[in-house]
Amino acid sequence: MLYSPKLSKFLESYGIILVVIVMMVVIALSRPEVFLTPQNLTNILKQNATLALVALGMFVVIVTAGIDLSVGSTMALSMVTLALASRMGLPWPVVLLVGPLVGIAVGLVNGIGLTWLKLPHPFIMTLGTLNAVRGIAYLVTNGAPISGLQPEVRYLGQAYYDLGIFAPPAGIPASLIVVAVCAIGLWFFLEKTSTGRHIYAIGGNPQAARVSGVNVDGILVLVYVIAGFMAGLGGLLLAGRTDSGFPNAGLMLELDAIAAVIIGGASFFGGRGTVLGVLAGVLIMGLLRNGLNINNVSSFWQMVLIGIVIIFAVWIDVIRRRAAVRR
Amino acid sequence: MKRVLLAGIALGAMTMGAHAQTFVLGMKGPGAGNPFWAAVEAGAKAAGEEHGVEVIVVAPPQESDVQAQINQIEDLIAQGVDGIALAPTDPNALAPVVDSAIAQGIPVVFVDTRGTNEGVSFIGTNNQVGAALAAQYMCDNLPEGADVAILQGLISQSTGQQRAQGAHDGLGECGLNIVAEQPANWDRAMGLSVTETILAGNPNIAGIFASNDNMALGAVEALKQAAMLDDVMVVGFDANPDAANSIVAGDMTASIAQAPDNMGRFGIESLIALTNGETIEEWVDTGTVLVDASNAAEYQ
Repeated sequence: MLYSPKLSKFLESYGIILVVIVMMVVIALSRPEVFLTPQNLTNILKQNATLALVALGMFVVIVTAGIDLSVGSTMALSMVTLALASRMGLPWPVVLLVGPLVGIAVGLVNGIGLTWLKLPHPFIMTLGTLNAVRGIAYLVTNGAPISGLQPEVRYLGQAYYDLGIFAPPAGIPASLIVVAVCAIGLWFFLEKTSTGRHIYAIGGNPQAARVSGVNVDGILVLVYVIAGFMAGLGGLLLAGRTDSGFPNAGLMLELDAIAAVIIGGASFFGGRGTVLGVLAGVLIMGLLRNGLNINNVSSFWQMVLIGIVIIFAVWIDVIRRRAAVRR
Repeated sequence: MKRVLLAGIALGAMTMGAHAQTFVLGMKGPGAGNPFWAAVEAGAKAAGEEHGVEVIVVAPPQESDVQAQINQIEDLIAQGVDGIALAPTDPNALAPVVDSAIAQGIPVVFVDTRGTNEGVSFIGTNNQVGAALAAQYMCDNLPEGADVAILQGLISQSTGQQRAQGAHDGLGECGLNIVAEQPANWDRAMGLSVTETILAGNPNIAGIFASNDNMALGAVEALKQAAMLDDVMVVGFDANPDAANSIVAGDMTASIAQAPDNMGRFGIESLIALTNGETIEEWVDTGTVLVDASNAAEYQ
């Protein structure tokens, strides 16, 4: 095979997009009359908006070679507190802020706990908050869901724009715009600011980063705050979508988020990965579930297949990199 | 001195308790915060007062804490109670405890959740019958041959299996056309997503049965978004307050209520019967009630 540096570079950056396109073609061939309908495509976008936000937050943490296991619990706590605030009759702009603020608060606890207590690995701090925060979510609700939010609070999670061309319930979901704004903002932050480049530097080699004058602890706290904020924002979307804050929300969500980040080509050892890859990783998981659902494949098989896809996607990445090094 | 006094009081309390029969109700979770367990507890307490027996109610501090429940029941067996009505958090894990109670001559019945021990009666909802009741309601109110879908709970659990099976048989037998049967794992967000996917492939759907109310309320949101709620009937299971509100508001169509107070009441009454040497049925059905716009206000 001819070696072309241009093609290699292209595959390195956009190979994952090709995977998404191939999956879409395969699913479209399996159920042509359903998959490509505007309604089904809209479904895929709005069903994965929350996961996309949480995965973007998880991605920033993983770039520093860290992990945040608490995001599912954080999302649930955000949802139940904002639902409580809504029930208490607080004005809607305040309620809108509650979810992301709760996320930021949990992120602060994670980041400060990690750096201040000098715990050996973020796994431990966030495993602690995974349990504690979920417990608080059950405590404040007594375990029962809190339903019925103000329409303004539901807007971001529920609204969509038919642009005069789609018939309901198809259209561009407001949640997609939230995801797009966050993704572009995060991309700009990581690629174009010095703090963003420091985040990659910490993941690549924390010792070197520290020696060259990077405020490692400060940046780690910031990174967990971003993950918490994204989980809180994801909670706002899901609460809006379901019209409810339920304390069971987001069980195991952290694992879906990690899977999406890893499928998207980020390295568990830090320093590598792109925002575009994460979004593709989320889409791959979402497409897989949608394709299996519209073909009425049992949910047990879905779990098996998602597991295989995670392993396979990372294996492809390993092979591609090894080939690149050899050249 | 103080310790002796305390021990004396404790001993006195125990011997005093020995005059009346003492029965234990072991629940899966605390009654505070969960209306279901609160109703089971109230039913058992009421039965205790009527029959002049003492009823001790215990529950793990956290719903479904298996180890805590095992410890509680072991401690009560050691105290020598007269009978135990148990809602096992994990039937297999509790089986040895139940066996040891029976070996010491303490009668046991299961409430709410069936255990694995042979020969121990079960007092609880027949979920299959309840789901069939929901199916019957849909059959009566939908034209023959209409498209319907089933949202299943966790189908690795017996409750999930029974409700899915009861609905499947009931809807199929009366000639409705089941176009989709998919699990949404008791979860509202998943109920919403799964319904969206079902609607994309089946625009003519006329009815949805969800194996619990959380999933039914998710389905209602999906139908609202698709502007199809007026044309599609949604029937849930559990009749929780959220669902009752939704039925009163005209969103959800109906739900199925269990009778948790009957579980507590029949549990204690069965234990009294057993200690009197009577036999009870292997399965005492506590019954299910259809809740629609006519009676939903009682469940709000």
